[in-house]
Amino acid sequence: MTSQHSPQSVPTEGSPPHAPSGVVVRNLNAWYGSFQALTNISLDIAAQRVTAFIGPSGCGKSTFLRWINRMNDTIPSARAEGTLKLHGDDILARSMDVVELRRRVGMVFQKPNPFPKSIYDNVAFGPRLHRVYSKGDLDMLVEQSLRQAALWNEVKDRLRASALSLSGGQQQRLCIARAIAAGPELLLMDEPCSALDPKSTLAIEELIQQLAERYTIVIVTHNMQQAARVSDTTAFFFEGQMIEWGETEAIFTTPTNRQTEDYVTGRFG
Amino acid sequence: MAVNLQSRVIDLRRKLLAMGAEVEQRVALAVAVVRDGDVDIAKTVRETDAEIDAMQAEVENECMRLLALGAPVASDLRLILSAIRISNELERIADMAKGSCKRVTKLVESGSYRFPPALLDMAEATRTMLRDVLVALSNEDAKLCLEIRRSDSFVDALNREVMLWSREWITQDVHSTAAAIEILAIGQRFERMADIITQIAGDTVFLVEGRILRHGAE
Repeated sequence: MTSQHSPQSVPTEGSPPHAPSGVVVRNLNAWYGSFQALTNISLDIAAQRVTAFIGPSGCGKSTFLRWINRMNDTIPSARAEGTLKLHGDDILARSMDVVELRRRVGMVFQKPNPFPKSIYDNVAFGPRLHRVYSKGDLDMLVEQSLRQAALWNEVKDRLRASALSLSGGQQQRLCIARAIAAGPELLLMDEPCSALDPKSTLAIEELIQQLAERYTIVIVTHNMQQAARVSDTTAFFFEGQMIEWGETEAIFTTPTNRQTEDYVTGRFG
Repeated sequence: MAVNLQSRVIDLRRKLLAMGAEVEQRVALAVAVVRDGDVDIAKTVRETDAEIDAMQAEVENECMRLLALGAPVASDLRLILSAIRISNELERIADMAKGSCKRVTKLVESGSYRFPPALLDMAEATRTMLRDVLVALSNEDAKLCLEIRRSDSFVDALNREVMLWSREWITQDVHSTAAAIEILAIGQRFERMADIITQIAGDTVFLVEGRILRHGAE
């Protein structure tokens, strides 16, 4: 059986299941006011691999995701304690430049959310915020990003068309291209296929696997089969705790924890 | 077609255990046939083998449906994979029981039925192994499975005694060669049944723990 880690067997620094780690998490606790949403989360998110977070609604997986790029900063009652590092940089530090952090940590949401701008401007939006590009360089960056998002061939002749004219699946790939264009190290995907049809879902899943060659990817999904198909490592959350974390193959064939077993087999959640 | 995987998996398990109980009954009858040379019981075992075949087909078809439609994982997936293998193994055990009954009938009808004590001992030991492995399957008892795997060597030793006895019989009376070969063949049937039972024990360990115990692995 492959190695697995329970919250009780916290991996030590430098000995994750797959080095190197993109994100190191130790004893992370998070609250919304007096409600504790995350309790003692410790795991290593391996670089250039796909990690899936699974668990029933309200288990804390999206909360955790939103601490990785500090999106919870916008919620006044939200606070977190513990260690959360991206390639050694303390994400929770007051000194962390949140704008720079969000360039390094791209995010794709459940519902495609392109800006009401052209396809080109959607992709160019992030790079323009961070630095000045020549037109030639920006064109090249937009093309590269759209190619990486497997969208270039479908839109190359209508880059000035509104992004809202694209199908749902294309819009989601555009959002991925937009995230890539900013040059991230980590891509967070919060149920990226839940609003898509099966064909578009397949396209996004294939894309996730291709992107994992360059980027560290964390995906939150309620679709067990999707987690099994696209991820290398899976973490199961329940009531704010990480119950089990391990190789996806092991989680879906021989989970060590009874709650994980009951969840992946659909007996609860 | 809607698939309620949880209830269907429970039902699959029940079908597999029911098939096991039927096969255990056939083996118990086959032991009685060896002991008493009762051709009427032997006929019953032979004639009812089709029921086991049908049960095996039903289990296998249900497994295929659940794999195709239910997207099983973890213990559900292991149960389905184990059920495919175990139902096939049980069917082969029933075939062996039928084969041994057929050979005893032939010997009894030719008036030359005699057998060594080791043959009955190995038939009884095989029956005990089958009963134990079905208990282990029912209780998901991996520890008992490992004990069953070790008891296979006892049946092998008894089979060697049957071989020696048959060889001795042929040496003493060359006209008994055909009958002695039949006794050898009956011994081989029970020895093979014990081998298959150890495979079921291995499959049960896989069902419980996810470990694959084949090709000599412990």
